[in-house]
Amino acid sequence: MDVLAYLLKGFSVALQPINLMWVTLGGILGTIVGMLPGLGPATGVAVLLPMTFTMGPEAALITMCGVYYGAMFGGSRSSILINTPGDGAALAATFDGYPMAQQGRAESALAMSAIASFIGGILSTIVMVFVAQPVAKFALKFGPAEYFMLMVFALSATASMTKGNLTKGFISMLIGLMISTVGIDAQSGISRFTFGILELQTGIDFLVVIIAVYALGEVFKSFKMIKEGKKKMQTKFGKIWITKEEWKRSKWPILRSAPLGFFIGALPGAGGTMASLMAYNNEKQLSKHPEEFGKGAIEGLAAPESANNAASVGALIPMLTLGVPGSGTTAVMMGALLMLGLQPGPMLFQQHPKLAWGLIASMFVGNMILAIVNIPLAGLLVRVLAIPPKILYPIVLGLAFVGTYAISNSVIDFYLLVIFGVMGYFMSKAKIPTAPLILAIIVGNSMEQSFRQAITISDGDYSIFFGSKVSIVLLILTIVSVVYPFVKERIKGKKNIVSAN
Amino acid sequence: MNLSALGGILATVLGLIYTTQALMLPKASIGNPIAPKIFPIGIGILLILFGLILSFSEIKNTGLKKKDIEKDKNENIKLITYTSLACILYGLIFNRLGYVISTIIFLEIILLLFNGKEKIKTNTIVSICFSVIIYFLFSRFLGVTLPAMPFL
Repeated sequence: MDVLAYLLKGFSVALQPINLMWVTLGGILGTIVGMLPGLGPATGVAVLLPMTFTMGPEAALITMCGVYYGAMFGGSRSSILINTPGDGAALAATFDGYPMAQQGRAESALAMSAIASFIGGILSTIVMVFVAQPVAKFALKFGPAEYFMLMVFALSATASMTKGNLTKGFISMLIGLMISTVGIDAQSGISRFTFGILELQTGIDFLVVIIAVYALGEVFKSFKMIKEGKKKMQTKFGKIWITKEEWKRSKWPILRSAPLGFFIGALPGAGGTMASLMAYNNEKQLSKHPEEFGKGAIEGLAAPESANNAASVGALIPMLTLGVPGSGTTAVMMGALLMLGLQPGPMLFQQHPKLAWGLIASMFVGNMILAIVNIPLAGLLVRVLAIPPKILYPIVLGLAFVGTYAISNSVIDFYLLVIFGVMGYFMSKAKIPTAPLILAIIVGNSMEQSFRQAITISDGDYSIFFGSKVSIVLLILTIVSVVYPFVKERIKGKKNIVSAN
Repeated sequence: MNLSALGGILATVLGLIYTTQALMLPKASIGNPIAPKIFPIGIGILLILFGLILSFSEIKNTGLKKKDIEKDKNENIKLITYTSLACILYGLIFNRLGYVISTIIFLEIILLLFNGKEKIKTNTIVSICFSVIIYFLFSRFLGVTLPAMPFL
């Protein structure tokens, strides 16, 4: 069956009234969580996942898609209105979005952010339709050795490209791998690192670590902000829409930024933050009046918003087709899929074409619903931001705990939540990135399995990891990804010296 | 205290503990006897290595002290400690008192920390509403069994 037929089938599932209701509900809840400062799509998906436990896999996927997109849309609401980004990817929306709101153009800013996100999301989903299957087909040829090298590449790229220094990125990644080795070893039946605690035999659930780091850790980090209370924000709005002039100015920036965002998003480790910042700088350089940027230029808001949503779709490609997530947020999405009993990877499109294409179809639907929800209802939804954070954050904590309990039915995980939450807090204080940790926890198990399978196949000969073209290319990519930050620093340093002279 | 250096030292220590634990793992009775150990030992050694690199480069560049000084640090740490203790207490009473009661207690404590005792009325309303709504939502509509109240 060809792509379009599958896609149409996917639409027929996604457009069922009940599923439309789920995606809307997921979208609204996701928007609300995404709006809260510090809580982005990763937290949104992690905290709201338990909602889907009793749904069928299709409904659950569609709901999670809504949450994911909702959180992406929501992140920039707080950037625009209170100058506090919901997550890293929404940072660029503060540059021009907040000045716009201060100038009394909040309506235009809110509308433009939703429109740009919508276009960026739709365009990149169209690209995804055509890219996903070829990539998956290619990956089917991978043996365990290639898989292992692929994961090594994905992890080291994430470790070296997330901000902070390379060593810290790797430390974070290695700790993540360690956490993934806790529990009974599936191949030999030996308990590893369980310290005699029965509950640890099944391993540490990555969702618990995700909720701990993203929900608890963020609350710990934001204590100061929470105590200080809310910032003043506008709560009454006129009609939320843009003028013709504003659309004219933003049209091309939106269209240019979408492919850029998609491409960057698909690279492991890069993600939405980098995509939106690059789109912003790009437009600033191309603009005829760069001096307006940072003072409320609408294209300075439109471009990063488009890139950001496009990146969120691009990031799903390595996750869905290779089973290797490229960012913290997609790692959480992958966690959600695993929870539903779906193993993302090349086989997903073969074994569960209905679900894989249903997911892609629901990305279209989700985007549309979110645009519909976010433009006319924006004025209503942003009222959440007017509720004092002192009350909102405890509620998020409450949700984090009930979510954790729903995952495992065990209170042991409550203590793990505290341990990893505190760990997440100290990691952020020591400026150690958390994304490599999360990624490593999720892929750690299959990484070790592929490693061992490869060794078994080669009968203990380690040269199997450099035995095929694919592995060698991946090895080179790994080396490049590790060396690149150093080279970049050097060039930067030289440039500085030149400009100083 | 230089937190990055401390992080490096802690990572090294963790790496050491982990690697020794990995070395002490029993041999597998099926297949290659050392198969379950290779991967953990590998990552353990790498962590020790990266931990050492981080600690030495940080100590060389900035020294052990200074940096990362914050005024409100103590208050923050205090809040984090109290919150963590509340979470542990929550874990201890969760099954005994059931979801609704234990959650009311937990949220009441957390809201007391965040929102202050002047607003005890709001706090109580929020905690009771949240607990009851979530309980019914999860156990009735989402099919997640939460511990019921002991006397109901």
